[in-house]
Amino acid sequence: MDDTRQRILEAAYACVARWGLAKTTVEDAAREAKVSRATVYRTFPGGRDELINAAVGWATYEFFVRLYEQVQGADSLEEVMERGIVFAHRSILEHEVLQRVMQTEPEKLLPILTVESNRIREGIAGFLVPYLEERGVAEGVDPKEASDFLARMVISYMSGTGRWDLEDPVQVAQLVRAELLAGVVAGPEPG
Amino acid sequence: MSGEGHARADVAAQASPNRVRIIDATLACLAQHGTLKTTVDDIARQAGLSRATVYRAFPGGRDEVLAAVVDTEVARLFSALGVCLGEARDLTEALVAGIVEASTRLREHAALAYLVEHEPEMVLGHLAFDEADRLLATASRFTAPFLARWMSPTEAGRVAEWAARIVLSYAISPSEFTDLTDPGQATRLVETFVVPGIRALNAGGAVPLIDITPFGFGRDMGARPPEPVIRLPKSADPPTDRLTTDRHTNKRHAGQHSTSTVHPKGDRT
Repeated sequence: MDDTRQRILEAAYACVARWGLAKTTVEDAAREAKVSRATVYRTFPGGRDELINAAVGWATYEFFVRLYEQVQGADSLEEVMERGIVFAHRSILEHEVLQRVMQTEPEKLLPILTVESNRIREGIAGFLVPYLEERGVAEGVDPKEASDFLARMVISYMSGTGRWDLEDPVQVAQLVRAELLAGVVAGPEPG
Repeated sequence: MSGEGHARADVAAQASPNRVRIIDATLACLAQHGTLKTTVDDIARQAGLSRATVYRAFPGGRDEVLAAVVDTEVARLFSALGVCLGEARDLTEALVAGIVEASTRLREHAALAYLVEHEPEMVLGHLAFDEADRLLATASRFTAPFLARWMSPTEAGRVAEWAARIVLSYAISPSEFTDLTDPGQATRLVETFVVPGIRALNAGGAVPLIDITPFGFGRDMGARPPEPVIRLPKSADPPTDRLTTDRHTNKRHAGQHSTSTVHPKGDRT
């Protein structure tokens, strides 16, 4: 991502945080980024809609960069899943901008997030494939299919915890070992 | 129409056979025009009834009809699920039958498909965060008692919620790997991923379920602030029996409705 694009996206995100999705204009983002309107339009030819979608996409990307950092150094696939789920759950709860926009403009945010969620799923699945290959999958399980299934479940628990208490490490451990990994991995947990 | 001309309009409206006809006509309108462009006139024309008859059955007009459509469609889904879950002879069969039935009904629902395509904000709000929790709670409250034939109520609650998550995920974004409307593919997914997970849940010992108030067939949806997502009305005259869902599902939960959304409270084990 080039510097101008990055700067405009950060600026647009700051504007959304301040004024919401509906009221953020190309002018606002240009002023915040200290670039001209023409530069914004050159970078995002689709104008406001493209810019807003890209800003949400950028925020999502930032979230996954932090998620990725969180699971680095985990000793096992189980630990990767545990850390990832706990971090994602907390980050969503503590994400002020996300929570505010969900309260005030869900009808604008949700369609964008739904499109994003396909990318997110592919990202999580792709991230998990090497872990699954290293850990070894159960007989008859296709690592690609399994990682797609796992990514779907992770997104599901991120979107709604349901009747699980993800603040409780015991529950998280059980969730990961039962609903996520029991049918996917081969043999007992290492260590 | 037999309901017309009766003085006791309230009673007649509740019992009116026109209600179902109007609801089905509304579904046909929604499948073509969505909620924004469907008027009472459209509904009346589609149903072959007069405007006055529609208003007699639904004094609240369009918004009341739309709320009743949601109630009815949820009830129809659960009733179909009840039949196939009740007929299942073992756990795998129950899971597969329930998943295939729900997936097929969601995929073939023309009105839902129109809304997802043209008015996504009407639908998506129920699939994220607190609303997702309520949706999952509603689905699992209904289906869990059927699964409790093969496991403890707490485990059944978990497994029912899990199955609902799977159905929703594959319904919202179809998978290149698995089509859950296909019984063979659904069986494979259940046998590969779900059955071993249930064994592991079992082996791990039951951890308590968080209690979440499910919504009662759509009626409650407008009554919970903040509710900016779905523009269904607050029912002017809330039904006296708010326990419809539970009555059809699990008598043990009757009367346990709480007003809070989530509070840690162990399910009975």
